[in-house]
Formats: sequence, structure tokens, C-alpha cells
Amino acid sequence: MSYSRDDIEALLPFHANGTLEGADRAAVEAALETDAELRADLAALQAIRQTMQAEEVASPGDFGLARLMRDVEAETPVTAPPAAANDNVVPVTRLRLWQTAAAVILAVGLGVNLLPGPGDAPETGRSIATDEAPTTEEGFSLASGGAPDFTIAFAPDAREAEIRALLLQAGVEITQGPSALGLYGLSLLDSVSDETARPILANSGIVDDLQ
Amino acid sequence: MDSDHKFLMTRIAGGDRQALAALYRALERPVYKFIVSRLNDPHEANDILHEVFMDVWRSADRFEGRSKVQTWIFGIAYRKSIDVMRKRGRVDLTDDSFEQVDDSPDAVTCLAAGQEADHVRHCIGTLKDDHRSAITLAFYQDMTYAEIAEVAGVPEGTIKTRIFHAKKLLMRCLSGRVERGVA
Repeated sequence: MSYSRDDIEALLPFHANGTLEGADRAAVEAALETDAELRADLAALQAIRQTMQAEEVASPGDFGLARLMRDVEAETPVTAPPAAANDNVVPVTRLRLWQTAAAVILAVGLGVNLLPGPGDAPETGRSIATDEAPTTEEGFSLASGGAPDFTIAFAPDAREAEIRALLLQAGVEITQGPSALGLYGLSLLDSVSDETARPILANSGIVDDLQ
Repeated sequence: MDSDHKFLMTRIAGGDRQALAALYRALERPVYKFIVSRLNDPHEANDILHEVFMDVWRSADRFEGRSKVQTWIFGIAYRKSIDVMRKRGRVDLTDDSFEQVDDSPDAVTCLAAGQEADHVRHCIGTLKDDHRSAITLAFYQDMTYAEIAEVAGVPEGTIKTRIFHAKKLLMRCLSGRVERGVA
């Protein structure tokens, strides 16, 4: 491909920003060797670029981020998406009273595990760990997909920070849920035993039911 | 860098808000700088920036990974800025109306005369939007012409044409200001 003078001039700003490669770059460099006016233009463009990059702009920063997070939160359904997969806890939104009440009645009264098993087909759930991980209806599933060690219903007025602190204290993570009835499946973290975690969960003021 | 951004996009598509926050922190400043350079209104640019990242949150699962994340996001910002300018009745998207200019004077002299930032800011502001966007993406963001073409949704040749004319107009403006002794 041959390059006209206009071609070279059009490419010159991209030589100034260092993004030219291959034949384009070779053509511009060859032209620069023999053309003093082009070299002057290049120097000017480099100066303009430097000036533009040095210009400070006061962006929204943390205020903008807070606004973004607020609106994302407002847009997120009650069954909120989980945090990063390598976190050992998962953010949980507060449960509705009817969900908790129904959960207690069904789980305690009928003795039925309301969380779907690993083989149940997810409907609207999303998984962030593996494609094979089970998901609950409207909820999320994490980690490897084994049966949870506990099934839990949090108090309807439990705050996310309180739930997060409790999970950390007990050494468990949410691996299933919330189910349609608002139940979560919890799994023990490595090196934490059932005997250690269960009393911490059972004695917590923000747990309505523990199976 | 882009692999980090792509990783974050994957997490965002999975509903990870912390990944969205991380991507926001990484790209908020350059995206805002680009938007404000187009709209010249910090408050409006603030709103558009917010809408851009809301779109990222809503449509991250549609990002196919064929382009850089930054290019994809700047494309969203580009289109939203155009929407704002259309509402203002102030957008010229064609390349037909550029004025022919003489060969550029010695802009190096102009830039050595001091007050470079004021001169550059003023002269960038005199460019048509499509010229200004091309120059801004080339010099603020160091994008390739292929990336700028993707952001603007036009052929690469169009970007080269825009840059060619933007450069000439910019040089002429800068030299003219110095020759007139504009402080």
C-alpha cells in the first residue's frame, strides 16, 4: 500500500500517541525522516497530547460510586446477587415476614427440607461458581453444590451486616438460597465443625429457624 | 489491564456489585473526562457517567469480549452523549461540512509561548463534535484509530478523515491565537 501525504498526516496523531504499528508506522517514520514540516507537526501534536493528558478533571469519584451502588441496589430484586465468589460470606437481603413465617411452619411442622436438592433444575436462579452448582428458585448457588450443613431462616428485621458478622463468627457460608420461602442453605467452612457452628447460629437473635 | 477488565465484566454479568465498583474506580475518570469534553457541562456529564455504568451493570452479560472493555464502555458513553446533544439540538454527525483550511502554521511556536492548556482547551472546544471526539480519544485515551472507529461506530477511514481535519483546524486555531496574542 502506498501512502499519500494526506495519509501520513492522518496517521501522524497516532504516531504521536504511540499506537501505530506495522506498515502504518513504517510509512510515517519514513516520511518523517525526509520531511521537516511533518517533524514539526509531530512535535506540536505530542505537545498537545501532553497538555491534554495533564489536564485535571474533577470527576464524581466516590460520590458517583455511592450513587451508582444506591441505584444498583434499588434495581436489584429482593433475592440480591451474591458478592465475589472468593468471599466466604454472601450478602443477604432482609427476608419478608411471610417468607419466614411460612418457612418456620413448613420446615418445623412438616419436617420437609424446602431447599431443592442438587438434582433439581433451576428456573430463574444464577450461579457464579460452577455451571453444575445447584440453584434455588429465584436464588443463587455457590461453591461445589453439595448438600448444605444447615438450613436457616433469618429474622425479618435482620440487617445484612448482622448476618454477615454471624456467618463469619460461625464459620459458615451461604451455598444455597434464598428459596422461594426465604430459606438459605449454609455450609461449614474448612476446619469448622457442626458442634462449633450450630450453637452460635442457634443462639443468635437474628435466626428464626435452624435445621 | 484489559484482561482484568474482562474478568470484572464476567463477575458483573454474574451480579457482583463489588466487581462493578472496581470497574467504576478503574474507568470512571477517563470516561467522565471524555463525556465532559463532549458536553462541556460537568453536571450533565455526571448524569451520563452514571447512566453509562448503570448500562454496564444491566448489560454486562451481553459483552462478548471481542473488543476491549474500555472501548465498549466508551462506545456507550459516546452514544449517550450524542443523545444528549440531539436533545439540545446541537449535533453534527456528518463529515461533509468541514471547512477546508490551509496548511498548518508552526504550531510548535504557539505551544512554546505559554498558556498551552488554555489555548488547547479553547481550540479543542471550537472543533465539531465528531472531530473533537476523535482527537479526544486519540490524545486523552491513546486509542488506536481502529478503537476510535469502534467507539464511534464508523469505518476506520472516517476516523482518519476526522483526525486529518481536526488536526489541521487545531493547528490553525492554536497558531492564530498566538499570532493574535490571545492570553
